[in-house]
Amino acid sequence: MRNTVMLRTMAALRYAQGLLPLLLGLAAWQAFGPVKSPYFPPPSAWFDSVLFLARSGRLWPAFAATLASFIAGLALACLIGFALGLFIGRSSRLRRALNPLLEFCRGLPPPVLVPVAVLLLGYAESLKLFIILWVSVWPILLNTATAAALLDELLIDVSRTFHFSPAMTLRKIVAPAVVPAFLLGVRIAIPLTIIITLLIEMLTSLPGIGSLIVTSQRQFRSAEVYGMLVLVGILGLVVNSIFTSVERAVLRRWPSTAQ
Amino acid sequence: MRAPRLNLPGLATIAVVLAVWEAAARCGFLPFDYLPMPSEIFLAWGDLIASGEMFVQTLHTVESIIIGWTIAVAIGIGLGLALGLSPQMRRWSLASFEILRPLPAIAFLPLALLLFNFSLTTELVLMVYASIWPVLVNTMGGVMAVTPRLYDVGRTLRLSRTRTLVSIIIPAAAPAIVTGCRLSMGLALVMAIIAEMIGNPHGLGYAVISELQAMQPRRMFAYVLFIGLLSISLNAALLWISARVLRGHRWTDDHNA
Repeated sequence: MRNTVMLRTMAALRYAQGLLPLLLGLAAWQAFGPVKSPYFPPPSAWFDSVLFLARSGRLWPAFAATLASFIAGLALACLIGFALGLFIGRSSRLRRALNPLLEFCRGLPPPVLVPVAVLLLGYAESLKLFIILWVSVWPILLNTATAAALLDELLIDVSRTFHFSPAMTLRKIVAPAVVPAFLLGVRIAIPLTIIITLLIEMLTSLPGIGSLIVTSQRQFRSAEVYGMLVLVGILGLVVNSIFTSVERAVLRRWPSTAQ
Repeated sequence: MRAPRLNLPGLATIAVVLAVWEAAARCGFLPFDYLPMPSEIFLAWGDLIASGEMFVQTLHTVESIIIGWTIAVAIGIGLGLALGLSPQMRRWSLASFEILRPLPAIAFLPLALLLFNFSLTTELVLMVYASIWPVLVNTMGGVMAVTPRLYDVGRTLRLSRTRTLVSIIIPAAAPAIVTGCRLSMGLALVMAIIAEMIGNPHGLGYAVISELQAMQPRRMFAYVLFIGLLSISLNAALLWISARVLRGHRWTDDHNA
């Protein structure tokens, strides 16, 4: 018992060691930076300004809007990407016929879709979801399709021999082979999805953290810009660590069968 | 690498999609007011090439990508080598990098705008921050994966530390480093376009936005399709180059990322 506590403390200390350069840098900024600098306000000012934004009631609605679009878009992309990926991956003809088109869609740099969607859909909430979905679906779909195509035919025959129901085949045969690749697709999609959500908000002024940061920047409130930068960083970090633990749990259930 | 074979069904699908789009737009079946027909887009594309506008914008974007990417690769390889070679360095700074890495680069755009205004610097800040990471992570991983036996070889041959690094460690880590450089080029392009849309009114990203604001859907779509082709050819060219550079290596590259 005491041993585990000590091991944990040591691990925490070792981690804190690695954080030192960052913390020292911020501390030096706080200590030696000019207090009223219009460009480099000290970290305490960032904190105050975020607090101020939160008290004024502008921060949390924006944060919630960004988070909701991110989660809804990514969840839809996971569902559609997985289903279509399986469907396309299982038919080699379909895969060959669709491949160039799909590769073009994936290769298209995501930001150029924002103006396209603005032109076709106008400035509406549906636009946000549509673009996020479009951007994050490709890595998930293509990764799932590739894994589904590499599925061992022998295993499918096994499920037939044992008269597995389709649900059983999916759970016992298909999922173990496809899930790791699917998760890799989601891992690639996550940072893209965050970037695109913020970009849409910046370009269209739809409510969200992106438009809030741009507003602060236009009004030269630099402390708010720094503060929200840190906030977005924390969001990225939290999403990343949640995904890592989900991935670990899922891979324990379906360990990777790829070589 | 596979010998390139013409994928006829694939090309046919693209042709069919374009034909259906054209027909539906001509008959007015599409619910969008501003969606141009493919034929109109290609005509506008021709005009943009003929007038030289597309060339000017492409030149700006490609130039800034090359500058930003070179800076990112230099910093990424430098830091990656230091972190990969020295456990001390990892112990005292890796966690800091792990905090900074998931920070969405686009959040730096307003800050860069505040500090550097609408300029190439703003564009470069965004590009460099985003594209350092794949190079850094891959270089560090590649160096750490070099088998200790290769260090012994260097000692046996009485090579200096620099010599060991240059002629043994870096070549052994090359596949990972090259993959990192390729991935970061893709990110640099994405970030350049974002920065040009908001932060630096030049280049292809700016062209798309300004055609949107000028209500020129045909020209806008021509730019969008061109950017897609540019991105895909850039990636294909880099894959080809890395296969050349790494000839003789057991070539393992994930095509997923």
